Amino acid sequence: MTKLLLDAGTTWSKIMELSKDGSFSDFFVEYEAHSQDVFDQNGNTLFSKSYLLPSKVLRKLPVQFDFATGHMVQNLLKEDSVYTNEIIALAYGSMKLVPELQNATVLDIGSRDAKWIRFKDGKYCDLDWNSACASSTGATVEMLCKFYDINTDDLSFVDEKYSLTCGIFGMEKIMDDIAKGQSAEVCISKYIHGLASNMWNFAKRPEEIYLSGGFCQNQCFVESLGKYCKVTPLGRNVLLMGLF
Amino acid sequence: MKNIVAFWGYPDPEILKNEIAKNPNCEIIDLDVDYGYPISGVMCEAYCKIIANIMNNAIFLRDKIKVIVASIGKEKCDSGHIAAILLKDMGFNVIETKYETYSHKASPTVISESNLPLKDKIDLIMQGVYKKNNLTLTPAVPEVGFWGVPPNDFELLELFPDSTHVFGWTRCVEANRPADLELEMMVNPNLPTVFFTQTFCAKMQLAKYLADKYNGLFIDVDDKVNKSAKAKIEAFIKLR
Repeated sequence: MTKLLLDAGTTWSKIMELSKDGSFSDFFVEYEAHSQDVFDQNGNTLFSKSYLLPSKVLRKLPVQFDFATGHMVQNLLKEDSVYTNEIIALAYGSMKLVPELQNATVLDIGSRDAKWIRFKDGKYCDLDWNSACASSTGATVEMLCKFYDINTDDLSFVDEKYSLTCGIFGMEKIMDDIAKGQSAEVCISKYIHGLASNMWNFAKRPEEIYLSGGFCQNQCFVESLGKYCKVTPLGRNVLLMGLF
Repeated sequence: MKNIVAFWGYPDPEILKNEIAKNPNCEIIDLDVDYGYPISGVMCEAYCKIIANIMNNAIFLRDKIKVIVASIGKEKCDSGHIAAILLKDMGFNVIETKYETYSHKASPTVISESNLPLKDKIDLIMQGVYKKNNLTLTPAVPEVGFWGVPPNDFELLELFPDSTHVFGWTRCVEANRPADLELEMMVNPNLPTVFFTQTFCAKMQLAKYLADKYNGLFIDVDDKVNKSAKAKIEAFIKLR
């Protein structure tokens, strides 16, 4: 029998299935992302499969979860399930993934918000979460790329950036520059650079950031953030790793 | 029928006591509290929720309020002073008071250091503005500190353990020195402390500074406490 873990984000849900004997359910076959061995708190090896699917699809599946975090878990939990809030999941997950974590900031950027936690001498030290006004994060970039029909893999780092203190003003600048003849790719790259700069400031300007979330796969963002600090991408499953 | 003696903040105790004594059949209402009355429309959209409560409550209860004893000194804030002026201008019977200098020493803060749930501690302290209690309370060994004013949304207080000690303005109220800034800035430096203010309150400046100084958690909440504020407090308490 497997245990199901869920990180239900606003637009994307990350799921992990843990199995002691290597057998898995077929709930998410078409979404399989990757398999790996993981360790529980007692050091026992578990087989795992992780999946990535749109949250709107998840809600239509006849499945409930044993462990969960995230905004969109409503009605998806088993009666005896364990819910962990996102910051705690981020803290536990990053410590599990980076046991040598001593003095660093872990930043998780979601589709509509961002949160970070800072460790000093291996212990929790400081945190923040900007759910009220994220000045645009993942969902905005996805929408921009969809609107201008751009693949994020085609975006390159540009040294210039838009100020994204207000995401709406930033969008306006994209439209202005495109109207002046600049390519949408360059404008969105400037927007992403502005977002990276914003996130670095939001995380209190650390020297090193361990990055969690979908932006780990956005090279333009990783390079933009790298202009300000050392960046180590941890992938999209950090919160899931903090659930068991 | 006018049957309410209203107040806000921490008015001069003698003046409030006199008004209560003069009106023995009146209900006493703290206008700072959110009773869910309709929005009056006289306030800016983005403004301190506590001051908005004062205006909304007063305007909704205007036919019942006999007198408002308004706290307008350093024990409250400039916005409280302006609220008093506006309500006077609207025809309310407003008595302006200041309670910012003291001849007495700080009273013991047994409620702040008791083992009551945090919400009950703050309720009791604020009731003490007009009704002294003689409860025998058990002190708690502190695990967490709460610094700040009573929040608009008390749900926030449910996240704290009963061993939480109270600091900041609320503690000053229990000490009967609501404008004592030195006491307001006092915390237990060894205690993980959440520094709370209402958004748009001047005390944000103080809360942020003290949170940085003592490596605490700075939280500002506007109206109702949101999921991220709750998660931050929960994580801060659990991970520290």
